[in-house]
Amino acid sequence: MNEWEIAAAALGCALIPCILICLLAPAPHGLLAMEIAGVLTSTILMLLSEGFDRQPFIDLAVVLAPMSLVGSLMFARLMERSQ
Amino acid sequence: MSWRTIVATVLLIAGAGLELIAVLGLCTLRDLYDRLHYVGLVSYGALLIAVAIVVHSSFSLIGDKALFIGVFLVASGPVLAHTTIRSMLTRERGDWRSQIDDAARDERS
Repeated sequence: MNEWEIAAAALGCALIPCILICLLAPAPHGLLAMEIAGVLTSTILMLLSEGFDRQPFIDLAVVLAPMSLVGSLMFARLMERSQ
Repeated sequence: MSWRTIVATVLLIAGAGLELIAVLGLCTLRDLYDRLHYVGLVSYGALLIAVAIVVHSSFSLIGDKALFIGVFLVASGPVLAHTTIRSMLTRERGDWRSQIDDAARDERS
């Protein structure tokens, strides 16, 4: 296990509190946790790509980063309307 | 151990540490607007890790894309934070544009 995989595992553990906040906290807090989880997941895919020296993982991260941004913006916009 | 490996490891530890601090802040702070600060911080951790990958494997196919992702996340962080805070304020206090229109109408009458 190299240093990239160790970092990916540590950041994978950091996803757990984000998921718990998404599930248990009020919706605006869950949105923040989701935004942070999106960045974390993109980073984990980058680290796995470097750690395993496999390019498909970084392609997933390239797709995930903009999709995560668009999804978060849509959630924020829709949450604005639902009082 | 080459200097590249040392620099990449230091950047990797700094980036991962920054992201872990952001998650820790998200867990410990209770107010929504306090928690919002960490949305911007977490993307800088991703940028540091992307730079670590570039230092380690130079401008390869993985390095180029990692740098693109890091820059993209840093650029999109403030946009995301601004949109989120705008939505939350509108959710809490209603649409401020109609309030401004009402105030202007009151001043005129």
